[in-house]
Amino acid sequence: MNNPQQAARVGLFFLLGVALTWVTFETLSGGKILKDDGYRLIAGFETLKELKVGDEVRMAGVKIGDVAHTRLAGRRAEAVLRIASSVKIKSDAHASIIMAGLIGSNYIGIDLGSANAPDLPPGAEIQTRSTPDLNSVMTQIGEMGKKLEAALGNLGGALSGDGQGGPGLLQKVDLLVTENRENLSKATANLQEITAKVNRGEGTLGRMINDPSLHDDLVASIAEIKAGATEAKTFLANAQSIVDEVKAGKGAIGALVFDQKAGDDLKASIANLRAVSDKIAQDEGTLGKLLSDDSILRDAQAIMKKADRALDGMDDTGPITAVGVIANGLF
Amino acid sequence: MADPQTTRNPFTDAESQAVGVEIHDLSKRFGQVEVLKQISFSVAPGEIFVLMGPSGSGKSVLLKHIVALEKPTSGRVLVDGREAASEEIRETVRMALVFQAGALFNSMSVYDNLALYPREHRVTNEQGIREKVMRALQILSLENAHQKYPSELSGGMKKRVAIARALVMEPQLMLYDEPTSELDPVMSATISEIIATLKEQYHVTSIVVSHDRELALNIADRVGILMGGRLVFLGPPAELAQPKDPRVADFLNPRIDLQNPRFKQLET
Amino acid sequence: MRTLNRVLEGIGSTILLLLRSVAYLPTLPRQFGRFVEQCYLIGYTTLPIVAILSFFIGSVLALQSGYAAQNLGPKQFIGLLVGLTMARELGPVMVAVLLTGRVGSAIAAELASMKVYQEIDALETMNIPPARMLVMPRLAATLFMMPVLTIIADLVGWFGGAIIAKYTSFIAIEPASYFATMRQYMDFDDVLNGLIKAEVFGFVIVLVCCNIGLNTRGGPREIGAAVTRAVVASLILILVLDYFVTKALM
Repeated sequence: MNNPQQAARVGLFFLLGVALTWVTFETLSGGKILKDDGYRLIAGFETLKELKVGDEVRMAGVKIGDVAHTRLAGRRAEAVLRIASSVKIKSDAHASIIMAGLIGSNYIGIDLGSANAPDLPPGAEIQTRSTPDLNSVMTQIGEMGKKLEAALGNLGGALSGDGQGGPGLLQKVDLLVTENRENLSKATANLQEITAKVNRGEGTLGRMINDPSLHDDLVASIAEIKAGATEAKTFLANAQSIVDEVKAGKGAIGALVFDQKAGDDLKASIANLRAVSDKIAQDEGTLGKLLSDDSILRDAQAIMKKADRALDGMDDTGPITAVGVIANGLF
Repeated sequence: MADPQTTRNPFTDAESQAVGVEIHDLSKRFGQVEVLKQISFSVAPGEIFVLMGPSGSGKSVLLKHIVALEKPTSGRVLVDGREAASEEIRETVRMALVFQAGALFNSMSVYDNLALYPREHRVTNEQGIREKVMRALQILSLENAHQKYPSELSGGMKKRVAIARALVMEPQLMLYDEPTSELDPVMSATISEIIATLKEQYHVTSIVVSHDRELALNIADRVGILMGGRLVFLGPPAELAQPKDPRVADFLNPRIDLQNPRFKQLET
Repeated sequence: MRTLNRVLEGIGSTILLLLRSVAYLPTLPRQFGRFVEQCYLIGYTTLPIVAILSFFIGSVLALQSGYAAQNLGPKQFIGLLVGLTMARELGPVMVAVLLTGRVGSAIAAELASMKVYQEIDALETMNIPPARMLVMPRLAATLFMMPVLTIIADLVGWFGGAIIAKYTSFIAIEPASYFATMRQYMDFDDVLNGLIKAEVFGFVIVLVCCNIGLNTRGGPREIGAAVTRAVVASLILILVLDYFVTKALM
C-alpha cells in the first residue's frame, strides 16, 4: 500500500503543479507596476464614461497605476487613482479619459505637466480635461455627414439648375464668363489698338513712350488679364474646386456663387470696361486730350498701378475673386 | 489441523472477557414484509449458541442486529447489557462477524485483510501485527496464502480467511454466518473444531448461524430454530433428538420421499 | 414525490458524509499511505488525458476565435480569449468532467461493490468507519490534486492555442503577441478563480460519488446503476455549481 515509488511520483507531480502555479503567477503579475499600495489622487469628471475599477492610469503612455475606486460625488463623478509611489505627478498635469479601443476599454491618461511645477501630494485632486467620447463623436460625425449631404445637395441644385427655376448658378456663371470672355478679349484688343495708336502718336505720346515702365506695366497687365480670364474659365468649369472653396469659407466665391447681384455686377463691370475701351478707341480727340494733359497722365499712371495691384492680388486670392477685383479695381 | 498446542494462547496479550447477548421482543420489517416477529432469547457469556432455520427465515438479519448493521423496528438488542447500536458498544466491545461470503477486502492481499483491524486500531507495532496475523493464518492452515488476493482464493479458503480475520480481532463476541456452507465435510469439521476450541481456549461467546446439523449437535451449548421469523425451538441440542414440533422434526430430518414430493403437496 | 424524496435523501446523506469525513481529518497523517495512493490515482494517472484534452480544447478555442476574428481584425486578442476562457471556465470544468469520468465513476463502482459484497459491513463491524478509511483520504487527495491538474490544463491549453494560432494560415499570429495580450489583460486572479472552482468541483464530485457508492443497496446489478447515477449527478452538479461559483467569485 505504501509504495515509495508511488509516493515519489505524487510528490514530484505536486511540486510540478506548485512550480507551474508559481510561473503563472510571476508571468501574469510581471506587468504589474504596483508592488505596494502607492498613493491616491482624485480626478473629477463630468462623466466617467466606460471607465471601470482596475483600468490603467498611464502617464505619457506608461502605466503608472490603476483606478482604485469610482464614485458619484455631488454633481460630478470621481475616480480615485492609485499611483505608484515612485511616480510624482506635477500639479499642472491634466488627467483625461482616453479610449484604448473601440470595444470600450478606457484608461486615464495623465500628461507630464511642466517640469518646475510642484508635485501633487497624496490625496490631492488632479486637474482634468474632458474628452469627447466615442458616442458623441459618432453622433457629431453623423450630423456633420447629414449637413454636408444637404449642403452638397443644395449646391448641386444651385449650380446645375433644377429644371424649373431656369439655369443654375454655375451655368449662369459659366454663361457669364463665356459672354465676357469675348468682351474681355475685345477690351484687350482695344487696349492693343490704343497702344498702337500711342506708338504712332507724337508729343505727349513721345513722353509716354519715354516712360517704359508704364508701357511694360500695360503689356504685363494685359497678359495677366488674359491669363486671369483663362484661369477663371478653367476654375469655373471645376465644380469640385468650388465646393472646396465654399468649404474653406472664402467670402468672395460665396458671394459670387450665391449672390445673383454680384454676378450681375461683374457682368456690368465688364460691359463698362468694353464701353470705356470702345470710347477710347473711337474718340481720337478725347484720347489726345487725355494724353496731352499731365494730370491725366498721372491719373493714367495711377490707374495702371491700381490695375497692377489688382492683378497681383488676383494671384493671391484666386481667379474668380481676381475677376471681381479686376472689375472693381480697374474701373 | 487445529492442533490444540498451536491454538493455545495464540494471542499472548488477549484478555478476552466474553459478553452476553440479550434480545427482547425483536421485530423487524422491510417495507411490508415482517422478517422477524417478536423474538426473545439470550446468550450467556462464553456460550456457543447455534441458530438454525431454513433459508430466508431471518437468521442473517437477526445476526446483523447484534452487530448493529440493522436497527430493530421494535424491541431491543442488548450486548453486555447495553444497546447494541450505541457508539459505546462499538468502542468497548470487540465483535467479529464472519460473513457468509467472507466479505474480504478485494483490493487487499490476505495479509492486509487480516492486518487491517490491528493497524487501524493501532493494537501494536507492525512486528506484533505480523506475528498475530501469521499465527491466525497458521491456525487455519493458510500460511502460504498470505500474499494472495481474495479473487485468487477458493470459496472455502475465503471462508477460512474470513474466520482468520475475525480471530485477529481477538473478539469477545464471535458471530458466524454459515461458516460451514460450501465447504467439504473435512473442512466443515475443522471449522466446527475451531469454533469449539476458541470457546474453550479464550472464553469467547459464539453465535453461529448455520443449517449444518452436525455442527449444531456437536458443538452447541444451546440451539435456536427460526422459522418464518419466529423462534420455534430453543434448548440444548439433546432435545433436538425428539422434537415436539413436526416442522422442526422435518427440518432436522428431511425425508426424501419420491412417491409424495413436497412441491406436489404444496400444489394441492 | 418519490424522486424528490430520493433527491432530498441524497443531499442529506451527502452532507452527513461530509461532516463525518471532515471530523476524521485529523487521522490524515495516520492514513498517509492511503492518501498518497489516492493522490496517485486521482492526480498522476489522470494527467495524460487532462493534458491531451486541454491541448485540443485550447487549440479549438484559438481556431474558432481566429475564424470569427479573421474579418474583424483584432487577432492578437485570441491569446486573451483563449487564456481567459481556459483559466476561468474550460480548464476547471474540463478537469472536473474528466475527474467524473475517470475517478468519480471508479470511486462509485469500487464503493458500490464493497457495499454489495458486504465489505462495508465488515468495516463497520470492525469499528472502522468507511468515512474515515474510504472517503476522507479521497477528499483530501482531490483537494490536493485538483489545482495541480487545473494549472496543467490551463497551461497546456494556452500553449495549444498559441501553436494553432501561429500555424493556422488565416490566423498566423506570433506566440509573442498571443501571450502579450494575455499578460497585459489577465491577472493571476483569473487563474486563481479557476483553481478555486476546480477545488469546489473536485470536492463535490468525489463526495457525491462516495456517497452514492456507499448507499448502494441490492445485488451486483446495482453497482452499474450506482456508477451511472454518480456520473449523471456529478455532471449536473458541475454545471449547476459552475454557475453559482462563478457568480459567487465575481
